[in-house]
Amino acid sequence: MIWALKRVGISLVLVWIVATIVFLAIHLVPGDPAELLLSQGGVAADPGAVAELRGQLGLDRPILVQYGQSMAGLLRGDLGRSMQDDSPVADAITRRLPRTLELIGAGAILALLVGMPAGTLAAIRRGGVFDRTASWLAALALAVPVFVTGTLLVLVFAQSLRWVAAGGYVALAEDPARHLSLLAMPSLTIGLGLAAVVFRMARAAVLDVAGRDYVRTARAKGLRPRHILTRHVVRNALMPVVTVVALHLGSLLGGTVLVEYVFNWPGLSGLLVDAVSARDYPSVVGIILVISVLFVGLNLLVDLLYGVLDPRVRHG
Amino acid sequence: MTRLSLARLWVAGAGVAAIVLAAVLAPLLGLPDPVRMDVAHRFAGASLAHALGQDGYGRDVLSRLLWGGRVSLFVAASSAAIAFGIGTTLGVLGGFLRGVTELLTVRAMDVVLCFPPLLLAMLVVTLLGPGAGTLILVLAVLYVPGFARVAYAGVLSVRAQDFVEAMRALGARRPRIMLRTILPNIAGPLLVQFSLVAASAVVLESGLSFLGLGVVPPTPSWGLMIADARASMAQAPLLLLWPCLALTLTILTLNGLCDALRDAIDPHPIPRRRRRLHEALVPGLLPAARPTGAELELRGLTIEIDTPAGPIRPVRDVSLRLESGETLAIVGESGSGKSLTGLALLGLLPPAARVASGTAWLRDAPLLHQDEATLRRLRGAAIAMIFQDPMSSLNPVQPVGRQIAEAIEAHHRLSARAADRRAIRLLERVGIPDPVRRATAFPHELSGGMRQRVMIAMAIANDPPVMIADEPTTALDVTIQAQVLALLADLKREAGLALIFITHSLPVVAEIADRVAVMYAGEVVETGPVEAVFSAPLHPYTAALLASAPTEGGVPPQGIPGVVPPPHALPPGCRFAPRCTRRIDACDAAPPPLVEAMAGRATRCPRWAEP
Repeated sequence: MIWALKRVGISLVLVWIVATIVFLAIHLVPGDPAELLLSQGGVAADPGAVAELRGQLGLDRPILVQYGQSMAGLLRGDLGRSMQDDSPVADAITRRLPRTLELIGAGAILALLVGMPAGTLAAIRRGGVFDRTASWLAALALAVPVFVTGTLLVLVFAQSLRWVAAGGYVALAEDPARHLSLLAMPSLTIGLGLAAVVFRMARAAVLDVAGRDYVRTARAKGLRPRHILTRHVVRNALMPVVTVVALHLGSLLGGTVLVEYVFNWPGLSGLLVDAVSARDYPSVVGIILVISVLFVGLNLLVDLLYGVLDPRVRHG
Repeated sequence: MTRLSLARLWVAGAGVAAIVLAAVLAPLLGLPDPVRMDVAHRFAGASLAHALGQDGYGRDVLSRLLWGGRVSLFVAASSAAIAFGIGTTLGVLGGFLRGVTELLTVRAMDVVLCFPPLLLAMLVVTLLGPGAGTLILVLAVLYVPGFARVAYAGVLSVRAQDFVEAMRALGARRPRIMLRTILPNIAGPLLVQFSLVAASAVVLESGLSFLGLGVVPPTPSWGLMIADARASMAQAPLLLLWPCLALTLTILTLNGLCDALRDAIDPHPIPRRRRRLHEALVPGLLPAARPTGAELELRGLTIEIDTPAGPIRPVRDVSLRLESGETLAIVGESGSGKSLTGLALLGLLPPAARVASGTAWLRDAPLLHQDEATLRRLRGAAIAMIFQDPMSSLNPVQPVGRQIAEAIEAHHRLSARAADRRAIRLLERVGIPDPVRRATAFPHELSGGMRQRVMIAMAIANDPPVMIADEPTTALDVTIQAQVLALLADLKREAGLALIFITHSLPVVAEIADRVAVMYAGEVVETGPVEAVFSAPLHPYTAALLASAPTEGGVPPQGIPGVVPPPHALPPGCRFAPRCTRRIDACDAAPPPLVEAMAGRATRCPRWAEP
């Protein structure tokens, strides 16, 4: 219990550090946000307008005051207002975040379902035809960037075969079948890359565990090979695999930006890409903060999950 | 480094070199200007002037591909180089100076890892605007912590080594130490990291350019080309394929180089097990003689391990005989082959090792060369084994009661609950207090002595007639050792267990064993009843071993001169000859056989009868 609380505490500190860094990045990097915002296309901005905007954004107050205000805002869940349409940033994020999470969740499930059994089988038949084929495919899947996979999937399944629409989004409540058909390609895109990671990790973990002394003990007891595999090898190999998957989910939170863009999936990333192009600082900061918090939260979840899977950790 | 991994390194290196060369030489190839538009020929197919056709603005596709590669590789290489320079410096400083420097240089940078990379890149692009310069900066920032960690870890492991300590003791100045000794030693992992980072930078650059946040048009870039071609996918799908292919191939090649480098640096060769044809075809047909009524009989066991330098034989021509109810100790130094002998009997040799020849019977059942299914039914039921380190030999994430219960379930048909109840009775029998509660404990919650008792409970779960105990007390402290030995002696008496006790400790042999087999460099050099062997050894090695053990009589222990020969450089004749005080020329001529010297006693020394 104390161990879990400690993990939560560390995560909170990390979130605070991330928020501070994002704040500092906006305020300390050379170039005034207001000036940058108004001087698009290389034309110098009107000083009056810049001053007015600075006032609006609160950029004219002392930096410590601004820091205090934005941290206080964060604690209340207030991420400020978008510079594009003055709507609360938090609202837009709450609307779009579940869609991004759905995509990542579907991709991760797909990856585990494919990668874990394939990795285990490859490890058992190490050096065999399946191992070599799957390892090669995994290397290929790892080498293709997600936006290339996505684009090629669109080219084949939407453009040539016309099985599914090239992209878009329909709410699950509105039309479940269409929702799932639109979910298929983007989640497959995410799942393919992640499946390769899971495969490699599972293969390595199974090979590692299979060489452990307690597996030799299990054999010395005369257990059936299938029993040894499920109870001693795969069970223990799951721990590193779960860790790696969860860590990759974090970077996927970033990687989905590209996938959502390719499939026109209205998740967080469309918001982010627009905000970055429009130099909408409150939105960019808000989205990056939320994703970083999720990233840190996910790592926390991994640590806690690890405690469940491995009784040793709880006492460490 | 094996020839295979060296060849892979060459292939991967040549691939990367070819890609870099194509990009570098792009301006010299006489291709059309990559940004010159020719709207009249939009989407034109391949022609003499345009080998891969023209894009939506009539620009030459091949030329754009090569120039795009220039941009990608330039961004990747320069950001990786910058990150390498800064990260390595920080990591080396942090690892060498430790203290506050360590905190500032290594730990502080871990914060970068709190951000998903693409997001950090987008944050910086928002602040500084898109363009190749921004990209290089972002990517460099992203990769500094990686290099710093690798360098830091490398320095920590190198600085602890003797030669760095030695140089410090000699008074070498710090910067000199770092440059001359540490850098060459951590170069390998850094090189791997560099190729890893370069591949990752190519991915990120193309991704950002694809989103319109990287390279600014009209400069060609693979990411931009894919974004452009997506719009005209219906008219010209090939335009999409070329940059996708170029990008994937580049990353695949870089990853390949990375893997090859890693393999080349990693000294662990992959053990490759070649089964001999007759082993695969006729398991069990090899035994020539019939069993002779002993509980366990082993004849002529030779174990082979393939190493890069050729096969070695860590166990050669070992014969043992175990009568029912008897305790046989196998004693020898580490590396004498005693543990491998025990493992071979149960068919539990590590994958790299194999039984080259020999036969064994457990009563009437042949043991070596049996298929896994036959051995499985014997293991745990007819012959059980206890291992040296109970901590690593127990599954860390399963309650110990369950681990005992599954040993019963493997050989009997009974419910899980019944098995659990029997497990508790077994825990009680091996002297574990409060067995009901202990059954649900995980191995790390028990003391070392209790863990070994659990292992013993597991071994006796099915009342096997024979048990092999491989240094069961070595990992325990002395008082616990005595308790475990007493427990084993009890069980032996109660159940009439025949025990093979593998150990390096002579006092333990004297305490528990009836007969002893002394092993040296993979061979049995002497066997016989413990009292007889200990009071009048027939082999100089046994004598030397006895002399090297501390005694109560106050005679100072005598070390054996020389070292055990390594298994790949064994002497041609008697293996103990180089260290033997009684050596004669004949000892070097041919390996002496194990001869029966007197009733129940055998020795490999041909001079046993001489005074």
